[in-house]
Parts: sequence; structure tokens; C-alpha cells
Amino acid sequence: MLLNRQLVFLYVTLAVSVGYLVTALSLGAPIADGGLTPAFFPLLVGAAAILFAGILIVQQLRTAQDEATADKPGSYTHLWIAVAIFFYIVAFKPLGYFLSSTLFVFALIVLFSSFEKLLVKAVISVVVVGAAYLMFQQLFGVRLPTPWG
Amino acid sequence: MDFIALVFGSFSLLLDPFNLTYVIMGFVIGTIFAAIPGLTATLAMALLLPLTYSLSVETALMACASIYMAGMCGGSITATTINIPGAPSSMMTALDGYPMQLQGKGALALGHAALGSMFGGAVGALLLIAVAPFVAELSLLVKTTGKFSLLAFALIVVVIAQRGRIPQAGLAACIGLMLATVGLDAMEPITRFTYGYSNLTAGIDLMPVIIGTFAIAEVLMQAASSRDISAATAAADKVKIRRRDFIPPLSDIRKIGFGVYFKSCLIGYFVGTLPGAGGSMGSFLAYTETVRTSDEPETFGKGNPKGIAASESANNAVCGGAMVPMLTFGIPGDPITAIMLGVLVINGIQPGPQLMTDQAGMIAPMLASLLFSAVVLIPLTLWLIGPYFIKIVSMRKDVLYAAIALLAVVGSYVATYSTFQMFMALGMGILAFYLRRNGFPVITMLLGYILGPNLEEFLRRSLALSNGDPTTFFTNPDSLFFIALTLVFVYFLVIRKPAESPLAAKAK
Repeated sequence: MLLNRQLVFLYVTLAVSVGYLVTALSLGAPIADGGLTPAFFPLLVGAAAILFAGILIVQQLRTAQDEATADKPGSYTHLWIAVAIFFYIVAFKPLGYFLSSTLFVFALIVLFSSFEKLLVKAVISVVVVGAAYLMFQQLFGVRLPTPWG
Repeated sequence: MDFIALVFGSFSLLLDPFNLTYVIMGFVIGTIFAAIPGLTATLAMALLLPLTYSLSVETALMACASIYMAGMCGGSITATTINIPGAPSSMMTALDGYPMQLQGKGALALGHAALGSMFGGAVGALLLIAVAPFVAELSLLVKTTGKFSLLAFALIVVVIAQRGRIPQAGLAACIGLMLATVGLDAMEPITRFTYGYSNLTAGIDLMPVIIGTFAIAEVLMQAASSRDISAATAAADKVKIRRRDFIPPLSDIRKIGFGVYFKSCLIGYFVGTLPGAGGSMGSFLAYTETVRTSDEPETFGKGNPKGIAASESANNAVCGGAMVPMLTFGIPGDPITAIMLGVLVINGIQPGPQLMTDQAGMIAPMLASLLFSAVVLIPLTLWLIGPYFIKIVSMRKDVLYAAIALLAVVGSYVATYSTFQMFMALGMGILAFYLRRNGFPVITMLLGYILGPNLEEFLRRSLALSNGDPTTFFTNPDSLFFIALTLVFVYFLVIRKPAESPLAAKAK
């Protein structure tokens, strides 16, 4: 019960807030010569974030004890989408816009639907990528990368 | 008067085919995005933000205004036809729109929604045109300490307006403020929170924040969501909508009464001026007020066109209201005005009191476009593509989300031609996704990020001017005014919580 999905998120947020506050402390004294230094505001924000995260963790722990609800088994498609975006960005310049984008759009269409009618989905991917190319490069003059530079 | 003349003079810009094309394209895209449940006009604007680099600022702002107006009325399409509001602002419209659809009067309900939107949009835009110059003049009176208190007021109100999840909103605002402190300090040559990474020295760019928060996060949300509306759209697909049924009879309009339209517009407009309130709050308040003052309150929720008129007049009037603090103080009231602020910032324009006086020529076409969208494009779009609205909703979601992801990721590359911004957009998208999934309002994060730099700067300048004396915030009348205003809002929103009507509960 101490590790349901929302609590994990809150613990991570709390850890980030503490890290932020520690970094803010390393910036120096918050007040010097009667004025505020660059450390003051981050200290205030970091402390407020820890306070809010603390309140939410306590609230969540109380709710978890009262309700003792289990996390619903969820879909992990969003994780695959995030991974696909990551690899798309990595491949964007080396492979160029067309190849990387076609693979990316195809992967996303498959992730959002099913592993069927792949040829149709591949054709749709090429059409979508072509339309986006026309919009970015031809209509708005954006230079998109190609494998040859 | 000069500004009003300037706005009406700007209608000539709409005669330019290039500008007109962008305004119409913006409106159609905004309508499509608002109509599809899960997509919003905010997402449409976030996707189109990178394209503003290649447009003149006037054209970009005119297109933004038309998307905004379309976004407020487009949500009524699915709210009426399949009882799923395409946008949160149309939640109250569904209460009476869908029962009308069930009675075979769906087209008439859409006609009432369009009429209300048209009226609300026009009144909101006219009030904005009339009021904004005066607010801008008043805002010149606000000095450094007052500016800090005003920004603090905006941030606090946005947080406490998130009823039932104030700690979540507070934490999200803090995350936004944390993001705002990354990079070079505004007053001293010190870098903060860059951890030696030179790409972060200039801070976190607005573009990946907006694209990540609204576009990438939305794609991830849709991927994680199990909601299936195919059955609902299939049922609605069988309904035949004829153009002539859109026109509301004069007797219906008389029955609704000019008072309901106008009162709802005023409610929407004033709600719009409050940070974080937005279209859904405007339509909710206008709807409950109409029910409260009606002779036959029992007919609401069963297909009363008055409910549709109140809800749609109010949410479209919000557009005009929300632009007042954005243009005069640089405080966006909702995500769309935050993106509009981004368009200004990307083009090197600093919103604030000087904007309305020094660069009024740049702002006037946007307001003309807002009025044009309300009066001309809302009825025209309904007439031309109204019978096909439901087909839009039935679009293939796999292709749609793949295309959105492509536009979002490539769009984040456009600003600097660097993959770093693409990674930043992905990072922001993942952050916003987890915030939304855990019930955190991302608008407060965005406002924290946008207002953070000025909030810190005015705090430090105020204390520097007063030799470190914090009582300066209570001794300056402008600052004291905003502190008092903050306390008033805290009293009404936190201490004396507004009651919720049974109809609102039903809407939820």
C-alpha cells in the first residue's frame, strides 16, 4: 500500500524537490547586503514544493489505509509511445526526416491500433509524412534533415 | 477611441487573402480539434505554435484568435450529438443539448449553441476592445511592488480555483516555478540548476514546454486511456442532420430572451478575466444563474434551449475576458492565452501595459479576427460543414494521434534546429502526462513557469528599492490593493466554499 502508482509519483516529486532545495542551498546565502540573492527565490520554491508534496503524501497514505484499493491493471501503450518518440529523436538527424518519420508514424499507428493490415498502415504513414513535409518545408520554409546533410 | 478605430480599421487586413486563409484555416482546425473528444483547441494551437516563426506576428495572432473562438464553440458538437463534450467548456451544453438530440432536435440544439456562441463571442470581443485600453492605462499605475503582488495574486487564484485539489495545484505551480529558475539569473551573472549543461544556460524554452505539455502529453494520455467512443459515434452517425434545421425559430429566441444571452455574456466575460477560471467555469456559473432565475427550473437538463444559450454565450464571452489580463499585464488566464503569450514572446514582444499603447497596431488585428470569427465564422462553419460534423468525430484515431505526435516532435525542432529542444519537449510531455494522470492541473504548472521569472524579479527589485524592508508590500497602495483582493478570493474560494448545484454534479 505504501507504493501505489500515485504515491510513487509523489515520492519522486518529493525527492526532486529536496534535490532542488539542496542545489538552491549551494547557491549561497539567500540574503546579502540587505538584498535578496539568486538563492532566495529557489529556496522559497523548493521549501513550498516539499511542503505540498508532504501534505499530498500524508493525504495519500491516509486514503490508501482507508480504502485499501488496488491499482487497476493498466495499458502500457503510453510507455511504448514515449520510447518510440525517444528513438525517433535519436534517429531524426542521422536517418533524415523521411525515413525516421515514416518508421515513427508507422510504429505509432500500429501502437494505437493493432498488428494488422500493415501494408495499408505503411501507405498511410508515407502519406502523413509527405503531407507534414509539404507543410513544414514547402509552406513554412523549414529545413528538415536528410541523411546526406 | 483611437484603439477602437484601429481595431475596426484592422478589418481591412482580413481582406488580404493570405490573412483570411490563415484565419479560416485556424477556425476550421480549432473546430475539428474541439469537436473530437480528447483533443482540444489548446492542442491545435500548441501544434501550430512553431509555424508562427514563418508568419508575421499579426497573422499568427489573428489565426490564434480564430482557433480560440472555434475551440470554445466546437466542443458543443459532440456534447450535443453524443453527450461527450469535445471541450470541458461545453460540459453544461451537454445537459440540454443531448436531451434535445434524443428528442430528434439535435440540429436545432447545434443552431442554438452556434447562436449563443456567436452572441457571446461578439459581446466578449466588443467588451475587450472597449475595456482593454482603459485597463492598460490603469495598469501603468502599478509599480514594482504592486506588480509582484499582482503576479502573486494571479498565481494564488489559479491554485485556489482548483477546488478539491489545492495541494496538487500548489505543487504543480512550484514545479513550474522550479522550471522557470533554470538558467542564467535575471539580475546577476550566475547560472542556476544547469548542472554544467550549457544548453540550459539560456533557460528552458517556452516552445518545448507548450508542445510537451499540451501535445505530447495528450498523445500519451490517449494511449493510456481506455475510453472507447466508437459505439457512441456509430449511433450518432445514423442521425441525419439537415441544414435548414439549424436555424432556431424566432419564437425560441424570444422565449430564451435577450436578458439570458446578455447576462451570460457578462458572466463569461468577467470569469474570463480571472486567472485560471476558464470557459468551463464561465458556462457553469451562467447556467446555474439561468436555472436560478428561471420560472421553470425543472425543465433544465431535459432539453431546454435556454441552458444551451446560457452555457455557450458564456464560454465564448470568456475569450474576450481572458485576453484582458494577458494583453495588459502579461498574465494568461488559461492555456490558450498562455500560448498566445508565447507567440508574442517568440516574436520578441513583451506583453504588459506598454503593449496596448506602443504596439497597438499589432494587437488590433487579433481583436478584429476575434470579432470576425464570432460573427461570421461560427454561423458560416455551422452552415457549411455542420451536417458533416459527426464524420469528423469518427476519424481514425490511430492515424490522428500518429500525425499529432509527428507534428509535435518535428514542431519542437523548428525553433532552433536542434534535437535538444525535441528531447526537452519529450521530457515536458512525460512530466505533464504524469501530472495529469495523478490529478495535477497542468495550467498551474504552466502559469508558474510563465510568471516565475517576473515574480522573482519584482520581488527582488521591490526589496532592493525598500532596502530589504518587507513592509513595503503593505505600505504601497497598489500592492495593498492586490493583497486585499487575494484575501477576498481566498475567503470566497477556500474559506466560504461556493455551493455546488445538483445539475453541476450531474454534469460531472
